[in-house]
Amino acid sequence: MTSRDVLFVAVGLITAAAAVLSVTNRRVLHAGLWLVVALGGLAGCYLVLGAELVALVQLLVYVGAVVVLVLFALMLTRSGAGEVDTSSAHRWVAGAVGAGVTVLLGGTLVAAYGWSEREVAGPSNDAIGEQIFGTWVWPFELLSLLLLAALVAAVAVATTGHRRQEGER
Amino acid sequence: MELPLTVEIILKAVVVLAAFLTLPLAIGQTEHKVMAHMQGRLGPMEAGPHGIAQLVADGIKFVQKEDVTPAAADRWVFRLAPAVALIPYLIALAAIPWSAAWVAADVPASLLFVLAVTSVGIFGTLMAGWGSGNKYSLVGGMRAGAQLVSYELPMVLAAASVAMAAGTLSLTGIAQAWSWWWLVWQLPGALVFLIAAVAELQRVPFDAPVADAEVVFGPYTEYSGLGFAFFLLAEYAGIVVMSLLFTVLFLGGWSGPWSDTLGPVWTLLKATMVAILILWLRIAWPRVREDQLQRLAWVVLVPVALVQLALTGVGVVVWG
Amino acid sequence: MSTQESRERAPGALDLLKGLGKGLATTARTLARPAHTRQYPHAEPDLPERSHGVIALLEENCTSCMLCARECPSWCIYIDSHKETLEPTTEGGRARQHNVLDRFDIDFSLCMYCGICIEVCPFDALFWAPDFAYAEGDIRNLLHDKPKLGTWMENVPDSALPEGYVRPGDPATPETEE
Repeated sequence: MTSRDVLFVAVGLITAAAAVLSVTNRRVLHAGLWLVVALGGLAGCYLVLGAELVALVQLLVYVGAVVVLVLFALMLTRSGAGEVDTSSAHRWVAGAVGAGVTVLLGGTLVAAYGWSEREVAGPSNDAIGEQIFGTWVWPFELLSLLLLAALVAAVAVATTGHRRQEGER
Repeated sequence: MELPLTVEIILKAVVVLAAFLTLPLAIGQTEHKVMAHMQGRLGPMEAGPHGIAQLVADGIKFVQKEDVTPAAADRWVFRLAPAVALIPYLIALAAIPWSAAWVAADVPASLLFVLAVTSVGIFGTLMAGWGSGNKYSLVGGMRAGAQLVSYELPMVLAAASVAMAAGTLSLTGIAQAWSWWWLVWQLPGALVFLIAAVAELQRVPFDAPVADAEVVFGPYTEYSGLGFAFFLLAEYAGIVVMSLLFTVLFLGGWSGPWSDTLGPVWTLLKATMVAILILWLRIAWPRVREDQLQRLAWVVLVPVALVQLALTGVGVVVWG
Repeated sequence: MSTQESRERAPGALDLLKGLGKGLATTARTLARPAHTRQYPHAEPDLPERSHGVIALLEENCTSCMLCARECPSWCIYIDSHKETLEPTTEGGRARQHNVLDRFDIDFSLCMYCGICIEVCPFDALFWAPDFAYAEGDIRNLLHDKPKLGTWMENVPDSALPEGYVRPGDPATPETEE
């Protein structure tokens, strides 16, 4: 095992542990904070694998913006302190879905590459840029269109309720 | 002379740590003095000649104080928050180049690295706001969250403009590609970046999250002793990081006469100017209201940053 | 006139920028000027003689009428007295009684320096003196007793003193009284 392997295993274990804690924690805000650790650990995994750009974007977007928004919503609704108890059926279904996804992804990887060791070299930042804005430009644009639609819908939902209130007045 | 790798890494870490511990103090002392004189006062005068050791004395005082954890606090979240606020700036400082050779950790996409790492620091504020078990802290934490998410976008867009102009994500590369007419070309982006940086630091005029008159220092209300000192240190370390980043991105970093030998001095000089400007804003301007703050981010800064991005794109295509 | 106009219409973006610039200019100008601060323990302050620093007692004017103690909002004046009988000075005269002041204390740890005691004193027994440097390490020492309150009389300005008062040790001859 090279030092990189050790590092990867360590970061991976931290990520997995944080993810499990995030799912099993009953206090929602603590779950959110464990999610920060899990996503940060994931960025670490990317970094160890040499995908530097993906790691940094992961940190910037998911940790720096998405989870901040999640925590903000929790603070705003004051639901962070409350203990959440899910039904056992809920838990079983969630566990089954999680295990299924794990098996599916793991199986695909094993089927594709076998058990042999693979040399990983993360793509350079230039290569990723060229891929996104060259080969994958249409899916990329489609995604932004989807986000735009979501944004417009959110504004519409927010403002129509407002107008109805004004009408009632 | 080639040093062994481990020795070099340890040496660099020590230098960065020393800079991290002294530069914020220097900024803090400058703030004491500049603010005092701008208000017709003298500021600290007793601790050392002209109060030069005032912040050291403050540090000793903070160490002696009792570290209180409120009964209603979320214990671990409350305890960890100061460290979470402080450490990202330490890591960011390591990646910022002082000259082409003077950089502790030369990562390839260092611009993205610094932005990504500093964006983690906000969790310190959020955790403090939540963990204190205090409604003023909670309100302050929410204000901080809303503000930092809003200003992150124009900041990243403005930084992206410079990266586009230089054609690289490396801070060293950006500073090397810089030439004086970027001062005009990237001016809108620079202004957006500066405003967003002040907002990220939660300094006046964007200090609604810690407004003493409204939410009694917001997320930091319940902190005492070393925890409070850490938050203060994080604030000033933030000023150091943002000033250096602004210098490298928009002011050409170490470029100047005799930059081969005097490079780091130029960086320090320019960054000091930027830092003093940030301090000056606190002394001269009133606080921006919460809704005005959001409005400024989304209605002014984001469009200006987008226009700057387009301008840069045109420039790169035409001249590049 | 232009300022009046700008007050009437709602301030625009230009006014905002102007205001921000003004803030920067004012602070920069102050920075260029010397500070107003006086470094007190190193340099003695130059106070007006009628400064409200401490309350002085002119004991011989006090009749222990208790007005000051009763009017004091923070109840920081303590007065004890007893009556003494003066034998008649002439044959067949009447014996007179007068109050003798045993104790007159002001607790400066409670005093809020409102000066009401000085205002209400009908006999000119209390005065403002400009001394201010009487901080103590022990709060109990802030209770100034009769002799101590008397020492503050030294710096009471002449303009505040009652007519005909002669400072102790002052050689000037008092005006003739009947």
